[in-house]
Amino acid sequence: MRKLLWVAVAMVGLAAFAQAPKLVIWADDTRAPVLRDLAVTFKAQTGVAIEVMEIAFDQLRGQFITAAPTGQGPDILVGAHDWVGELAANGLLEPVNFGPKLAEFSAVAVQAFSYGGKNYGVPQGTENIAIIYNKKLVPQPPRTWDELLVLARQITDPTKPMYALVFQNGPDPYHWFPMLSACGGYVFGTNRDGSLNPCDVGLASAGAIHGAKLFADMIAEGLLPAGVGWDTMRALFFGGNAAMVISGPWLVADTKAAGIDYGIAPIPAITCPNGALGTPRPFIGVQGFMVNSFSKNKVLAFDFLLNYIATTDTMLALYNRNPRPPAHLPTFALVASDPDIAAFGTQGAFGIPMPNIPEMASVWGAWADAQSLIANGQATPEEALKEAVAKIKAALKCK
Amino acid sequence: MNGGSLLAQGLKYGLVALLDAVVVWAAMALLLRGDYLMVALLGVAALLLNFLVLSRRAYPLRFLLPGLVFLVAMVVYPIGYTISVSLTNLQTGNLLTKAQVIAQLEGRYYLPPAPETFTFWAFRNAQGDLRVILTARDGRTFISRGNELVPVDLSGPRYVRGAGGTVTGFDGYTRLTLPEIYQSLRALEGLDLVLGDEHVRLTSVREFGTYLRKYSYVPDQDAVVDLETNVTYYAREGSFTSPDGMRIEPGFQIYVGFRNYLDVLTHPGIRSDFARVFGWTVVWSFLTVFFSFWVGLGLAYLLNDPYVRGRFAYRSLLIVPYAMPAFISALVWAGLFNADLGVINRILGELFGTKVRWLQDPMWARAALIFINVWLTYPYMMIVSLGALQSVSREMYEAARVDGATGWQRFWTITMPLLWVSVAPLLIGSFAFTFNNFTIIWLVTAGRPAVLGAATPAGATDILISWTYRLAFEGDRGNQLGLASAVSILIFIIIAAISGVNFRFTRALEDVSRGV
Repeated sequence: MRKLLWVAVAMVGLAAFAQAPKLVIWADDTRAPVLRDLAVTFKAQTGVAIEVMEIAFDQLRGQFITAAPTGQGPDILVGAHDWVGELAANGLLEPVNFGPKLAEFSAVAVQAFSYGGKNYGVPQGTENIAIIYNKKLVPQPPRTWDELLVLARQITDPTKPMYALVFQNGPDPYHWFPMLSACGGYVFGTNRDGSLNPCDVGLASAGAIHGAKLFADMIAEGLLPAGVGWDTMRALFFGGNAAMVISGPWLVADTKAAGIDYGIAPIPAITCPNGALGTPRPFIGVQGFMVNSFSKNKVLAFDFLLNYIATTDTMLALYNRNPRPPAHLPTFALVASDPDIAAFGTQGAFGIPMPNIPEMASVWGAWADAQSLIANGQATPEEALKEAVAKIKAALKCK
Repeated sequence: MNGGSLLAQGLKYGLVALLDAVVVWAAMALLLRGDYLMVALLGVAALLLNFLVLSRRAYPLRFLLPGLVFLVAMVVYPIGYTISVSLTNLQTGNLLTKAQVIAQLEGRYYLPPAPETFTFWAFRNAQGDLRVILTARDGRTFISRGNELVPVDLSGPRYVRGAGGTVTGFDGYTRLTLPEIYQSLRALEGLDLVLGDEHVRLTSVREFGTYLRKYSYVPDQDAVVDLETNVTYYAREGSFTSPDGMRIEPGFQIYVGFRNYLDVLTHPGIRSDFARVFGWTVVWSFLTVFFSFWVGLGLAYLLNDPYVRGRFAYRSLLIVPYAMPAFISALVWAGLFNADLGVINRILGELFGTKVRWLQDPMWARAALIFINVWLTYPYMMIVSLGALQSVSREMYEAARVDGATGWQRFWTITMPLLWVSVAPLLIGSFAFTFNNFTIIWLVTAGRPAVLGAATPAGATDILISWTYRLAFEGDRGNQLGLASAVSILIFIIIAAISGVNFRFTRALEDVSRGV
């Protein structure tokens, strides 16, 4: 009996202390297949196995926060840059030391993944919204908002229905932001060192209010349908009831499938109170690879990211699964001739990385409330936005 | 009792033995991981199970136990856990335990003024001991001896040279190939070598580099010293904080007693919005249950009538809203109610030339929500009522008819009292469920339209639970789980009180029916 016990202890011990490293990666369905292919190469060259777990994108962050502190998390997490603030503030991410590889990445994308002066992710793809238009309904998209209004007054007919422009606004501050930012609206101001200042909220600045007024006027005039969500927007655009939508690369595949002859163009410029034309600045979202601070294979993980992921082969394979402008510059150069990528890139050049600090959590709800009050005509843009900023500052305990 | 066949007995003891073997194996694995609490729990559970199977006296418990286990796992444990979280500061930035934070901080390093990097060769002997030889940029070489790095002259005969003149081994140590280095990365990464007053660690698969330790924990001061700046950060309210208020991220979890409850109860905004949200929550639950019950009962009464033709087809059709996943129905209805593009407004426009601002006007949004929820719940009420109606004996109706009672009288004096007894507890359950029906509110209006001038993010259609969600997850820096748990416990108390009163009321009803 005692002998048996020792055998059992020895077996369990062997299993526990076997040290052969294995990299565990959590990724969504658009990246997991590419990583699985790469795992074969990595195993052949280093003898180290990689286990890729496929998890739905919107589950990744929550599951990571639950699993990482208990040591059950992955070594590498593939996610979005706006998770970084929350994850790093919780002590779950390890800073990346790019070394000479830094020059191969778009500075904006690297900046998007930085928090508290450190880089926390190897960026892969960027995304931003722009105008996607139906060439049959509008051969030449308007370049200024005034031209857009002229077009809208010509073709809008709520009974058909037919609209010149539709975007998610029910409420949806993400798609609304370009209108507010064109003349200088912003979410958080920046400190001298480039970090974000959560107590400087610019959503009720003169520029933001100007953009919000334009939004309110279009709804009041019946030129812009209010309360539109993702499904309604798709139905209107694919059904030929909307000439233009403001959306991102995620709509492109379905637009092709719907047989729409589409084009991508910048969001029309807005004439600001001072008479100048303001370019709408959408949020930029960046997706990339992060390393768990509780990983026992950090050197291995960074070796994998910098020498196997940050290559044109891998980045191109990731791009082909899910075409977004690559953050890896040599790869971007290879695909820049694609007209869709180029067009989204033209708009993205004016983009602002979506704030990644955890304080952003206080912004979305209050901001969306303001948008719905404005869209419903329950409050003027000025009232609604000022109240939103007051609420955000109160939630963040700013003076 | 002792009539059980030999086979059954053998099977029983065999299974118990197998289970015990698994438990012993699992306990040892847990012991090795140092998880003593789990070992204790496992031991208690295993002993209990053995007692249940082997003791005759425990025979009745065998049937009760599964239910008890589920009661504890699904009800008692979550409530206990929620209470314990509500007493902590668990939120974004305070997720880890203090020990985890200290371990993480003590593992942080910073670069010395003149950082050095080294290429390296790693060696292993037959016992599995690892040693490394490092070569600095300027050609100096070092060898690891224990935790120390000492200068070494590699020209001696001890060091075996291979092709290309590189050292391939010494003193029984042989050099690792690159794949072997990959296999040994964990051990190499764990090396913390000392060179003078600097630390040398593995920085990549090909290099070591010099570092200095950033933080050191001082237990008797309960503080962390920043060795780079010499600032002391004391543990205060869940983070290490310097005398001038700078905090080190991440913070850690601490027990804060009843502070979350006090925050909720004394928050000026929460107090002003509470009455409005609570009022609407009660109205919403009451009207949903009221309408869905009467619609469901009415349909059930019709379908229970043997003279109605095609009852089966009607019944199947009427159950459809119940068969569809609620969240899909909710999203579809939200689309139908869209003021500009929804079908409902287009029909109203065609018929009456008017538009209703569903989901945008507070009153209409509430009406739409109640309508949608009645649509989703009436089939349940209908099924329940159908069952109850069929259990009412026909003889009573016949006797009533003989006595000359009208249909209306029969309904109110026979059907309703008998139905009420079996349906009332379900109505209370339905009320409590609707009270906390986050899904429908969130999918259709997300608590909106917003209320201008509200002190907290409380919209016109927010119920307590959705408001809680917004308070806890759309405030400050995101996840305020401690606060959210405190509010959940308060809501739990409110619902328990309402249900308690309701049950009193129905017990009185039961007494009435017993008297009948």
